[in-house]
Amino acid sequence: MSSSEQAPVNPKESSDSDNTTHFGFQTVEKHEKESKVAGVFHSVAQQYDIMNDLMSFGLHRLCKRFTIDASGVRPGNTVLDLAGGTGDLTARFSKLVGREGKVILADINSSMLNVGRDKLRDQGLVQNIEYVQANAQYLPFEDNTFDIITIAFGLRNVTDKEMALRSMHRVLKPGGRLLVLEFSKPEYPLLDKAGKFFSFNVLPKIGKLVVNDSESYQYLAESIQMHPDQETLKAMMEEAGFEQTTYTNLTGGVVALHKGYKF
Amino acid sequence: MSSLHLPQQMLLLIIEKIINNALALNINHNNALRDLAGKTLTIKLSELNFPITLTANDTQLLVTSIDGESDCQLFANIAALQELQRHQQLTELIKQDKLDIQGDLKVAQRYASLFENISIDWRTELAKHIGDVPTYKIEQFSLWLSAKFKFAAEQIQADASEWLVHEKQLAVTSDQIEDFSTQVNQLSQRLQQLESQMNQLEKTLSTDPALAAANNKGQTVE
Ligand SMILES: C[S@@+](CC[C@H](N)C(=O)[O-])C[C@H]1O[C@@H](n2cnc3c(N)ncnc32)[C@H](O)[C@@H]1O
Repeated sequence: MSSSEQAPVNPKESSDSDNTTHFGFQTVEKHEKESKVAGVFHSVAQQYDIMNDLMSFGLHRLCKRFTIDASGVRPGNTVLDLAGGTGDLTARFSKLVGREGKVILADINSSMLNVGRDKLRDQGLVQNIEYVQANAQYLPFEDNTFDIITIAFGLRNVTDKEMALRSMHRVLKPGGRLLVLEFSKPEYPLLDKAGKFFSFNVLPKIGKLVVNDSESYQYLAESIQMHPDQETLKAMMEEAGFEQTTYTNLTGGVVALHKGYKF
Repeated sequence: MSSLHLPQQMLLLIIEKIINNALALNINHNNALRDLAGKTLTIKLSELNFPITLTANDTQLLVTSIDGESDCQLFANIAALQELQRHQQLTELIKQDKLDIQGDLKVAQRYASLFENISIDWRTELAKHIGDVPTYKIEQFSLWLSAKFKFAAEQIQADASEWLVHEKQLAVTSDQIEDFSTQVNQLSQRLQQLESQMNQLEKTLSTDPALAAANNKGQTVE
């Protein structure tokens, strides 16, 4: 079982130094990670939504709604849905910010963006959405642009998380907030075990069965294990300049929502 | 209370679906929605630990638990709303500190008028869709919701010249209803599946020593 391979708990300290980083459980050159992650998401893009529902029994939808509610979004706001992929958050944000507001769906991966754009257009959501291909580490926006930034299930795929957090801080308006929705450390050991069992035994098999791609889902499972736990991510956000940083555990900490303000 | 966040979202999602389904039944909702587009009403019930915020856009009414700035905020408790049901005056309740409105009263009135128009039988609708979802405050919710419509009626009566009441209704397509109930059913089925899957995993992990050992191995990273 792959879960017996050892994953350092704090990837920040253990290997993100110098020129190497993690791609799942593997240590790779930093410049390699991006293209490897790109490979994963090009491969899963078409079936991404279906797999998300299957893998989470639909719970990801409720987590995303919770994230949006916690963002305090108002009609007229400007929102960046970073690593937005197929645009679930963008869709709801677009309805909430209305005619006067704007949502930018940004993702590094053109396949994910294309699937997202088609899906949102099919839903009739065109008025207030823009699509931007961008790397979270080098956001191509002016300082102080957004009221809200969300990054849902995206940060763990980013090569240099600290750099990305600083970049997000820069483009937020003062008073703006960042919401990071991500897999995290379950509060209960049994849940942790169940989660690992599911991630490493069930998930790649569903991946194989549904999209004939167990490797991508093996990477996703490994990257979940490698992502910083609640307190580490909170500290990273504070380090990047965010204030009043808090987190809320959802589904017993399997997923956590971090929130921080720029003042 | 973190475990309640998702059931809460589930409930809001169902309420939102019920409302939009009812809106789709009524041809007049479009005008009313357009008037309300971009306006928010936040209802804070002392019995609930989260607010309920209604946000309209041109085509839909979104139900969230967004806190913070809102065009109009209504503070009440369920008892006060029940009194409202017994036709007590709104102003009297406000005077007695049982109900409070802050912000733009017009927004509250317009939402009230919209709800009056679409008249939803909340008890039946919620019962239809909630099924096995934890019965978290449902009873209070439905009390509150039915009270809201009384409130709506009173507002409209009080200001009938300003608030046109449309009665014309168009049949919703059966596809819309079907689509809507399938979505809700699927979601509650998935939640049930998750629960049984977790129970199963828990059983397997606690009874299978090999599995337990293997999983422990994967966890010993400190
Ligand atoms: C698991 S998906 C999440 C998509 C969407 N936010 C959701 O929750 O459904 C992760 C996304 O992160 C994107 N991503 C990975 N690295 C990125 C980076 N450095 N900058 C921006 N997006 C990135 C991927 O292309 C992918 O679309």
